[in-house]
Amino acid sequence: MSEYKPKIIAFVCTWCTYAGADLAGTSRIKYASNVRLIRAPCTGRIDFMLLIKAFTMGADGIIVSGCHPNDCHYTSGNFHARRRWIIFRDLAKFTGIDVNRVMFSWVSAAEGARWAEIVNNFTDEIKKLGPYNSFRNLSATNFIEAVV
Amino acid sequence: MEKPRIGVYVCWCGNNIAKMVDVEGVAAEMMNIPNVVISKTYKYMCSDPGQDLIIKDIKENRLNRVVVSACSPRIHELTFRKALTKAGLNPYMLQMANIREHVSWVHTDKAEATSKSKALVAAAINRINFHVPLDERSVTIHPATLVIGGGITGITAALEIADAGKKVYLVENTDKLGGHAANVDLTFPYFTSVSQFMNPLIKRVHNHKNIDVFLNTEVKEISGYIGNFETMISYKDIERKIDFGNIIIASGLKAYDPSAIENYGYGIFPDVITSTEFEAMLKSGIILKKNGETPENIAIIHCVGSRNSNYHKYCSRVCCTVALKFANQLRSALPDSNIYELYSDMRSMSKGCEEMYTASSRRRIMFMMFDQKNGMPEIKNADKGDCCDMYVDVDELLSGESVRVPADMVILMTAMEGQDNARTTGQMAGISLDANRFYIEKHPKLDPVATTTNGVFIAGSCNSPKDFADCVSQARAASARVLSLISRGTVNIAVATAYINGVLCSGCKMCISVCPYTAIGFDEKKNVSVINDVLCQGCGTCVALCRSKAIDLNGCSTKQILSELSELLLKE
Repeated sequence: MSEYKPKIIAFVCTWCTYAGADLAGTSRIKYASNVRLIRAPCTGRIDFMLLIKAFTMGADGIIVSGCHPNDCHYTSGNFHARRRWIIFRDLAKFTGIDVNRVMFSWVSAAEGARWAEIVNNFTDEIKKLGPYNSFRNLSATNFIEAVV
Repeated sequence: MEKPRIGVYVCWCGNNIAKMVDVEGVAAEMMNIPNVVISKTYKYMCSDPGQDLIIKDIKENRLNRVVVSACSPRIHELTFRKALTKAGLNPYMLQMANIREHVSWVHTDKAEATSKSKALVAAAINRINFHVPLDERSVTIHPATLVIGGGITGITAALEIADAGKKVYLVENTDKLGGHAANVDLTFPYFTSVSQFMNPLIKRVHNHKNIDVFLNTEVKEISGYIGNFETMISYKDIERKIDFGNIIIASGLKAYDPSAIENYGYGIFPDVITSTEFEAMLKSGIILKKNGETPENIAIIHCVGSRNSNYHKYCSRVCCTVALKFANQLRSALPDSNIYELYSDMRSMSKGCEEMYTASSRRRIMFMMFDQKNGMPEIKNADKGDCCDMYVDVDELLSGESVRVPADMVILMTAMEGQDNARTTGQMAGISLDANRFYIEKHPKLDPVATTTNGVFIAGSCNSPKDFADCVSQARAASARVLSLISRGTVNIAVATAYINGVLCSGCKMCISVCPYTAIGFDEKKNVSVINDVLCQGCGTCVALCRSKAIDLNGCSTKQILSELSELLLKE
């Protein structure tokens, strides 16, 4: 049997984390190939319903990453994302979504190595958790589709 | 809307991508995706022939959307947008898939890298179905410029712009202009006096009718965007609002404090001094130990805090040549003294500096090499009755011998590091710092004085340690960029802004409170929020917040994100 390859989606802002991932590239730092980046202007843009959508579509893990506090290109978008995450996390726990499958982090344009480390650690973490079948089974009932 | 006709272009980037990704395989598979009309590979898509290929295809095959799968869009998105414009297509009908920085350079398995590339390109194709043509909006450029930092870089930039007849506000947080340069005695490699050229420059700045100088002043907050910035300046207890179109940050650097390096005992031995302190001695013309005697043995230690992972990993770039300058000035001032240069690698690379190094070795200056990683020299007190005050013990690398260097004075060539307030200044202007507290340029080779924020330029040593010549070059480069914007008068910026669907808006006004640009107003009659797309910068915070899903973002719409997601997750 071939090795389990988790599907990981990363919602990143273009100014910090996307640039950090670019730096990992220019520095030729190697990391796990499971991650797929979705580039947004700012983490403030990331509606947490998009995370639910991603899980519904089959993601096993999700990274949301933007600029460090106070470094936001748009001044405060990352703060809004952080507050939203705090609320979302509680709601997710309450509704039974596995919050260990969501990683919220800050990676600056200078932190290529940190980006690689985060991807590797998170990939290992998700490999341990395995495919997120319980959510997928739930969504198969079209219940979540209907909600979002 | 017209049915999508998509052209897909997969770049080899020479071997950079092609070595790790089966580019032909990627291109071939994309032909199976609906709406894809053409799918090709090319050695260098960004080259002129590469762009011409796209332009030709757009015209001949009536393409209305283009996907380029190549390097990071942060590098060449603009290049390809220009190509689309040339072909008569709206430049925003482009989507890039990053298969170099995010694939070929970071993964090691060709099969995995190829399948990831296929997924990313397919997602880009799916996304581009939902692209809509966007307009560019023209903003006027206010002809004044804010220059932050009154060192040699800031002064040069200010004069360059003011001489062209444009207004400059020069803000300096100390009580005088000149920065570090004002404390330097002679320059390298030709030993000319700094004050001879600095003093007239400073005088000219103060007297220039186009320059307002604010000393002892810090800029607290900047608002606005390219062409239209503003700030409040409190100067001599008077609050004043100033408007400007561009910003040049020339805030420089500071000397590293060597107290942390135990081997050198800075702060413990009275005659272990920093290069800054020794420069002040040279400028005063009096070289004396703390006890008032003339030093007979002088050791100069290089790379103090530089090129060492315990302190700063980077090379501070100018200290080797400054150390050579010190040795030469010492030789002239104290002809009978013994001068030792303890270096780790001699990096006297600027014009005329290697020659200066060679000439120095003929002036009875003793050069000794040490291993910066494993063999840092150590300073010890000499015994009473010895010929000197201190010893510097060093494992000399070239001879392989342990040498005890006598010293009455030790000069530490300290590293140069980013300013303490670099972060706050950067945050205010919306630009990023690297891990060493230096500002990040837009492109290290092709755009060294621009930043990722339009209208904000960096010059001189706030970007990395630099000598005067490089600082002056960068100052003039940044002012040329600013003057070109001023003379154009307007600049086009993307309308990747948010928009509100008035039918869905419930009038809750939540979006108004989160907008960092106060770009959202309220239409009391219709009871809906309204976005001012001149002020909107397109961050999308209001989009994610809107509970009625009444707001969406041009260039990053919910549909576009979902289309990428579904391709990435449902197909594989």
